[in-house]
Amino acid sequence: MSGQKIELCKTSDVDEGTAIKVEKGDLALAVFNLNGAFYVMDDICSHGPGSLSEGPIHGDVVECDFHNGSFNIKTGEVVDPPCMIPMKTYQVSIEGDAVFIEV
Amino acid sequence: MPHITIPATNTTFDCNDDTIMRAAARNGLGFPYECNVGSCGNCKFELLEGEVEHLRKDPPGWSERDLQRKRYLGCQAKPLTDCKIKLNLRDHYKSHYLPKKTVGTLAAIEDITHDIREFRFKLATPNPFLPGQYGLIAAHGVEGARAYSMSNVTTTGEEWHFQIRKVPNGACTGALFDHLKVGDTVGLDGPYGMAWLREDAPRDVVLLGGGSGLSPMVSLARAATASEKLAGRKIHFFYGGRTPRDIFDAKLLSVLPGYGTRLLFHPAISMPEAAETPWTGKVGFVHDFAKEMLGEGLRDCEIYFAGPPMMAQAITKMIVELKVPTSQVHFDQFF
Repeated sequence: MSGQKIELCKTSDVDEGTAIKVEKGDLALAVFNLNGAFYVMDDICSHGPGSLSEGPIHGDVVECDFHNGSFNIKTGEVVDPPCMIPMKTYQVSIEGDAVFIEV
Repeated sequence: MPHITIPATNTTFDCNDDTIMRAAARNGLGFPYECNVGSCGNCKFELLEGEVEHLRKDPPGWSERDLQRKRYLGCQAKPLTDCKIKLNLRDHYKSHYLPKKTVGTLAAIEDITHDIREFRFKLATPNPFLPGQYGLIAAHGVEGARAYSMSNVTTTGEEWHFQIRKVPNGACTGALFDHLKVGDTVGLDGPYGMAWLREDAPRDVVLLGGGSGLSPMVSLARAATASEKLAGRKIHFFYGGRTPRDIFDAKLLSVLPGYGTRLLFHPAISMPEAAETPWTGKVGFVHDFAKEMLGEGLRDCEIYFAGPPMMAQAITKMIVELKVPTSQVHFDQFF
């Protein structure tokens, strides 16, 4: 199924330059706020059990603090190893003060 | 006896002469881990209160930066006091059979290749395991335990068999190969590991092994050929070595039902120039062999692998390139 919209949180829930973890059904997601723009990817690192919403953010990149691999927050692409598998990212939309993704 | 508390989930458990992760696993909790010997770093937790001490003084999976952030390895950290810790428990890491410590008595030995030997232990307290899982062996006179995968299939858990590759100058394999005799004992702890057979997965099975990765692949092949749920599924067994003497006798697999029809053995060697005996089989690496043979069809397979780091990396790279769903890929990070 595609095109289903899910509300994750309010824009005010995520401070600029930080991320929060949001769980919806089977999904565990990391919601990032980069200079007022919102990005969402799966929260659990593709390489290990690290939680990306807890990782340090440097510019557009989030580091997984388990093995210090990193990903581009906007695209999910791997930036630094040991991670090799890109992160799944989601289409984000803002309606009013709410952050939605499409699944 | 130290009590461990995870305040975020209001979870507590006892940790008696044990590491925090192993004690959590014995209590049925999904404490993340993989290698169990301080290398992979998957079992990191944050120490909020209390004091711990690592078994290995300088584990590869742990850094100065972790120490600064009060993060320790669950598989190595023994509590010295009651502790409060922070981590995310995950169901994925829950044990099907709770790991237990027991004593294994060596019942039999059999050579599999020039440097792989099967050690069969009878357990003082039987404990079953899932095909593909591993245990920790603590040999007398060897500091720390080592992780080895079992090769047999058992429902009672009375015997655990390990096909172990001798590591040059390795302390533990040295003790096992050179000194352990039938009737001698070792400490055993397990089962551990997440790369166990998914009988409910409605797909052909691909097993990729090399070197020390033989043992779990043999267990998986034995279980998959016997599984009613997997009846009719093909089981591809790829195994790589450097030269012909690294490749085990096909009899190990040819005794299994369906050999040659649904259980297909694909050995390969990577250094034909060093071959001690003539080799007419495949030359190359197992991941290339699998890609050549199955190609994009690998996306429709359940894939299990074990072997040396270079091989594991090459397989992971291939899986990413072919876009095989990661939920269909099973291995334990030992490094």
